[in-house]
Amino acid sequence: MKKHISILMIMAVLAGSCTSDSEFLDREPTNILTQDQIFSDPELPLSILADFYNRYYDFGRLEDWPSVADFNVAYWSEAGRYGHFENTDRGYGDWGTWDYGYIREMNLFMERLQASEGLDETDKTRFLAEARFLRASYYFTLVKRMGGVPLILESETYDFSGDPSYLQHPRETEAAIYDFVISEAEAVKDILPVDANSKSRATKGAALAMEARAALYAGSIANYGQTTPSVSLPGEEVGIPASRAEGYYQTALTAAQAIINGEAGNYSLYTKKPDLSENFASLFYDKSNNPEAIFVEDYKLQSGKVHGFTIANQPRYGAEEEEGGRINPSLSLVEAFETLEGECEPLPITDGSGNYISYENPDDLFDGRDARLEGTVIVPGSTFKGRAVDIWAGVILPDGSIVSGDSRGQQKEFPGSNGQEQVVGFDGPIDGLEFTAQTGFYIRKYQDPKAGSGQRGVQSDVWFIRYRYAEVLLNAAEAAFELGQTDLSAEYMNQVRSRAGITTELTPADITFDKIAHERFVEFAFEGLYFFDLKRWRIAHIVMDGVPMTEQEVTSDVCDVTDRLTQPWGLWPYKISDPGSADDGEWTFRVRKPGRATGADRFRLGNYYSEIGQDILNNNPLIVRNPNQ
Amino acid sequence: MKTLLLVFKKPVSVVFLVFFLSLSATGFAQDDEEITGTVTSVGEDSEPLPFINVMVKGTTRGTTTDFDGNYSIEAAPDATLVFSYLGYKTLEVAVDGRTEVSIQLEEDIASMDEVVVTGYGSQEKKSITGAISTVTSDDLERVHGGSTVSSGLAGKLPGVSFRMADGRPGASAAIQIRNMGTPLYVIDGIQQDEGQFNNLAPNDIESITILKDASAAIYGVRAANGVVVVTTKKGKKNSKSTVSVDSYVGWQNWSRFPNPVTDSYTYQKLVAEAEVNQNGSANITPEELEKYRVGEENGYKSFNWKDFIIKKNAPLRNLNVNASGGSEDINYYLSATNLKQESVLGDEFRFERSNIQSNVNANITDRLKVGVQINGRIEKRENPGIPGFDDYWLPRFAILRNRPYERPYANDNPEYLNDIGHNETNWALHNFETGGYKRDTWRVLQTNFTAEYDLPFLKGLNLKGMYSYYIADHLMNGHEYTYEAYTYDAQNDTYNVTGGSTNPWREREQNKVLRNIYQGQLHYKESFGDHNIDAMFIVERQEAKYLRNWVHSVPQTNVLPLIYFSDVDTYDDSESEEARIGYIGQISYNYRDKYYLSFSGRRDASWKFAPDQRVGYFPSVSGGWRITEEQFMKDWLGDSKVLDNLKIRASYGVLGDDNIGIGAFDYLTGYNYNQGVAILDGQPVIASRDKGQPITNITWFKSKITDIGLDAYFFDGKLSATFDYFYRLRTGLRGRKYDILLQNELGYGLPDENVNSDAQFGVEGALSYNTNFGDVSFNVSGNASLTRSKFISSYKPRFNNSWDRYRSSSEDRYNTIFWGYEAIGQFQSQEEINNYPVDIDGRGNRTLLPGDIIYKDINQDGRIDGYDERPIGYNNYNPLINFGLSFQVAYKNFDLSADFSGASGYSWNQEWETRIPFQNGGALNEIFLDRWHRADTFDPNSEWIPGKYPALRYNNGGHSNYNKNSTFWLHNVTYLRARTLELGYSLGDGLLDKLKLQRARFYVNAYNLFSIDNLQQYGIDPEVNDTNGLQYPQNKFVNVGINLSI
Repeated sequence: MKKHISILMIMAVLAGSCTSDSEFLDREPTNILTQDQIFSDPELPLSILADFYNRYYDFGRLEDWPSVADFNVAYWSEAGRYGHFENTDRGYGDWGTWDYGYIREMNLFMERLQASEGLDETDKTRFLAEARFLRASYYFTLVKRMGGVPLILESETYDFSGDPSYLQHPRETEAAIYDFVISEAEAVKDILPVDANSKSRATKGAALAMEARAALYAGSIANYGQTTPSVSLPGEEVGIPASRAEGYYQTALTAAQAIINGEAGNYSLYTKKPDLSENFASLFYDKSNNPEAIFVEDYKLQSGKVHGFTIANQPRYGAEEEEGGRINPSLSLVEAFETLEGECEPLPITDGSGNYISYENPDDLFDGRDARLEGTVIVPGSTFKGRAVDIWAGVILPDGSIVSGDSRGQQKEFPGSNGQEQVVGFDGPIDGLEFTAQTGFYIRKYQDPKAGSGQRGVQSDVWFIRYRYAEVLLNAAEAAFELGQTDLSAEYMNQVRSRAGITTELTPADITFDKIAHERFVEFAFEGLYFFDLKRWRIAHIVMDGVPMTEQEVTSDVCDVTDRLTQPWGLWPYKISDPGSADDGEWTFRVRKPGRATGADRFRLGNYYSEIGQDILNNNPLIVRNPNQ
Repeated sequence: MKTLLLVFKKPVSVVFLVFFLSLSATGFAQDDEEITGTVTSVGEDSEPLPFINVMVKGTTRGTTTDFDGNYSIEAAPDATLVFSYLGYKTLEVAVDGRTEVSIQLEEDIASMDEVVVTGYGSQEKKSITGAISTVTSDDLERVHGGSTVSSGLAGKLPGVSFRMADGRPGASAAIQIRNMGTPLYVIDGIQQDEGQFNNLAPNDIESITILKDASAAIYGVRAANGVVVVTTKKGKKNSKSTVSVDSYVGWQNWSRFPNPVTDSYTYQKLVAEAEVNQNGSANITPEELEKYRVGEENGYKSFNWKDFIIKKNAPLRNLNVNASGGSEDINYYLSATNLKQESVLGDEFRFERSNIQSNVNANITDRLKVGVQINGRIEKRENPGIPGFDDYWLPRFAILRNRPYERPYANDNPEYLNDIGHNETNWALHNFETGGYKRDTWRVLQTNFTAEYDLPFLKGLNLKGMYSYYIADHLMNGHEYTYEAYTYDAQNDTYNVTGGSTNPWREREQNKVLRNIYQGQLHYKESFGDHNIDAMFIVERQEAKYLRNWVHSVPQTNVLPLIYFSDVDTYDDSESEEARIGYIGQISYNYRDKYYLSFSGRRDASWKFAPDQRVGYFPSVSGGWRITEEQFMKDWLGDSKVLDNLKIRASYGVLGDDNIGIGAFDYLTGYNYNQGVAILDGQPVIASRDKGQPITNITWFKSKITDIGLDAYFFDGKLSATFDYFYRLRTGLRGRKYDILLQNELGYGLPDENVNSDAQFGVEGALSYNTNFGDVSFNVSGNASLTRSKFISSYKPRFNNSWDRYRSSSEDRYNTIFWGYEAIGQFQSQEEINNYPVDIDGRGNRTLLPGDIIYKDINQDGRIDGYDERPIGYNNYNPLINFGLSFQVAYKNFDLSADFSGASGYSWNQEWETRIPFQNGGALNEIFLDRWHRADTFDPNSEWIPGKYPALRYNNGGHSNYNKNSTFWLHNVTYLRARTLELGYSLGDGLLDKLKLQRARFYVNAYNLFSIDNLQQYGIDPEVNDTNGLQYPQNKFVNVGINLSI
């Protein structure tokens, strides 16, 4: 037996076992911090907050370009997404969110932070207030999409007893969640710094802006919810009593005025540049001392946090990469911009007797319009990054026939041409050809004018503005209007409109719901706010009623944003070839609908609040379904 | 030799040759006598045997018999001669002072004494009780169908499924044992990965053994999917030093690839047809279309992109030089191999690999042996830098993307890249000059040191230690250049920049893998009369470290290769480790080579689990019974040679797997660092995220394999057969208990547990027959296997309703179900559409035309939706059924062999470019010429002419014809393809003598020459997986080669 033991010992040596088995198996992770390591370090809790900031859940996001361009304010010029315009109904589950993991992590963070020692008290207080702001922001997101939800404010743990029902919470009322958002904003606003230069972390300005928006939304649901009585639940998980409207509007107005009065720091409208269109565009990308931005999602080149919004949407011709041009603003949006005199007029495509008007330059058509138009949309004949866009659909011959092509900048011979000549723009529009301006327009808002922003290897660090001063003004204007204070409302509206170059001031008598709704439509296009305006005013099912649009509809009542908008239409410039005629070489326009936009959006009453998933209902029997699904 | 030098002009190859030739010089002792003799075969038709090795025992002196079986050798009068040759029993004969020694060698057909490498050792074939298959170097060396080891295994092994969907230079096949998942690879006793296996030089492999059942259990922790055991060649003791050269050159062409319509007129006419079908009118006028037909004006001509991109006869060259031999105390095998494979995309798309292998063993004393094995390689992949992750994608995509009127160069001037509007698929960009480069190199070195000691105090007891060190270094550099694309302005004769990219993409990736393996083994083997015992005990520790970094920059110039700090915008860094410990014991017993019984057990521990969940135990047992050794069988069979040998065997074992989808430190709480970056107040802050609930309850899943098999030999061993049935039950798969519902509002879910189970089962068998007809020797063999997998159960599954159960349940169901619609025909007329009661397209059938697909309304609710889906095919990647056939014939100096392999039981889904006409607005797949269309393209009222495919639409994937997977588009594939066809000729004796060669053989070889299958009509190789059909297919090879031994 001794022999055998000695053999085993030799074996053990041969196996190289200078360490015990457990020592050999214990390996150190290279990317995990323990709770103790994090909460005893003055800097590291910010690392967790950084994750919470990154998970802030906006409806519109620059990383997800379709999210800012939905609901027919634009056509999507990407082959894989045409189907979006062929369908009619939107799914009941669309836009849903239920991320209680995020809430739990924020609750845990606050609990661990409070229990921690060794952190500077000032830091600790600020971190806590930021976490509360972010948690309230997510509850705001939840209530906007789902209605009232369970309000979980501390981390809970299942005890594995076999019966977790003690952890089940029912949905709160919709009003209760709004109340929570408002009260949290009130609670943290004086803890957070008063600093208009701190844009990407929570500040007093951000808290007040959130409060104003939340209260305004709650007020309008209470107010306009009466028009759609079936969009409610008996337990008020959906729907807010009309009696509460006035209180919410007052809260909204007060919070907005706190910012306007300078209580949260020096915020004002951005007015740095003399060219008003240029000014409006640069408000979204100018990151130095921008007085209008209140709370943003920031990006930085060469940091790992950049986005491809410009790559996706830069004009295709002259693009820094072989792509771009995806968001094509629709004619309905373009027509909604007033004249500088403040008149609502269709674009002068035809004269009084119905004859097409010809223009020397394609952009002449858009002269004299609200400066925000060309700050938001790249129109034919304009430039981006100093390079002219080349948007035109073909050549019109004297007999009215059209010569065009099916690839960008195609050349052909045609009667009157000088050999092979270009017959279509390098930016299109070519129906069905992705990345070309299929509606005749590209988006300008949020596109980055820096060299390299359109390159996949560089990308863009333009920030996304979540709250800005103009919204605070228009929120105040709407709340004041609903409270009957039309003079105050007109004052705020005029500030925003004069920054856009509109010369005629609104009088208190001019202020109507439609006027306010229209102002928000043009001011906030492509900012992710339009959807919630449609919902809280309960007009989404009217604007998107599933009925296709006619050309007549597209070009009349252009300011009435409560009218039907079910399809993204376009406007195509053509070059006139009529040698010897005065019109030769001039431009004329035709209204066109992208060939693939065969569907017409229908927003059903069951879409007002997103469907709560079957698994959520299965797991918690106290959760009631949303209405009309 | 001339042929060789012509083929390989590189001086380095010549240096190798000279080096090895010089090794083969041998000397002769003075006082030996010349001994001559003839070697013939045993039996009535005794034949002279050529190529038999004749060695003087205890020396390195040797020769081979000539074509008439004659030999002559110098040997001392008291020497012993050793005669050996593969397939014959080795014979030792004492010279006893004779000068003529003629002998007869007995053939060793399907020898039961053949030694097979198994887990941590080797066994005689007759004693094997598990399901084990082997392929040897003879078989492997005949395959010249790719650059990796796996690509040569089609149809060679029963129970091994094979699929090679991608055939680019350096590509590998997906092989699985009984479709159980990725197997464990063990190379010369060291656990390795698939990449290391594939990139061995096939010439250096002695054998590949597949452990398919509980016999794999000895590898415990990672053996649940079976084990592939590879043994590299070693020099034979007491064998003459031999230098061999194996060299071949092959030419490759794609087996199949979809064809686009290549003339502009047909293309534009069909675009017009599609537009008329869709909108009632076409954008193009008949007058303009006429210009395409004439095809003389610029912009109206045709261009064949496929011919422009795809080159013919892309070369593959392989040269192996090796030297081997051995004396009583030392034996060696040294080898160097160089392989170069180019692509049909041209010589800028290439793969090159150089391997060295050095196996040397030495007896230090009678009891102590040492050995060292060195295996190294350099593996290079190079191609132009092309946008997108896979640089081989855009050139293939271009074939079905670029329209025939588009041209690569502006004004056909090769100086100017033409702006075709989608320039990333302009092939004129895809070269080192304009596009950039990507270079990817692996450098790998593996060294194993072994020592073996026969313990003095107990006979048969042997102690062995092994240490293995592995280092792999990976360097990838890529640079995609900025470029400009031009449009020619004919009026001014200028070239204007109208497109291109200003974006350079520069990246570098570096990986390092370091592995240490320590092994201690104790073996005991002894016979006590009729009782034979073989036992072993092993301790094994393995550790590995993986390091990786990736850097991306935006350089300011295309021409300089370095990366500068100020251009860098991304740097990723990672490091991870693995550690495993195993204790293994095995004891085998047999009684008179009649009854066999073997037990083994393994205790494994893996770093991956929580400390108290780390250990797993994996026992196995197997037994065999050679019925033909029983007296009653012998009595019954008598002198009959019908049945020589029949063995029944059975095995059962528990195998483990620590790869259950959790990370190495999921048992810890804390925060994961580096979960993105947030910019806070202008500064980047690295984000951390809570890891969530720790996973402390999960451990190995258990894989229980049962195998029952039999091996039989008939007709004096000429016919051999083997058959197996197997059943693998896996329990403890990761899943969740659903009887406790935890509300989502808690913010975390119940942890997964080891609760699910599934099964994999099937049958396989092989037959082989060898015989001689006079001068002709003949071998035919075949194998086939069937395997299926089934989900057994989860823990108390829940379904919302009966539909949910039907559609989503996997309980007790086959795992490989493809769901789709049943196409029950095509509409024959507009009238039929108008009267059809079911809403096929979801739009009241408004979008339908004659020829459109009719789907079966299974639930009869008047519309086609998700409720009408049913199982229509398979969704597995590896085929469920595999089979192989092989023939070998030799006649005098000629030899001929032919291999076929086939598979069935998998599906190919026709999608994208092969389903949707004008996908991406690009070229038109030729298959759509056979379509429903109107007699007059421009007249919507003209009559319909039937065809195979529905009436064309322009890039309209949303149409009901195209947006549903159905039996119209899903094809269940069966194929039989010719693999190796080889004709060889060996030089006769006289010539060999003149050339001073031992052996010279020339051959012509083809691989993948043809395939019989049901995908030919779609232009798709039967093994392609990508549903767009645009995968890089396998190649057809034609090779010529030479084997020389000196």
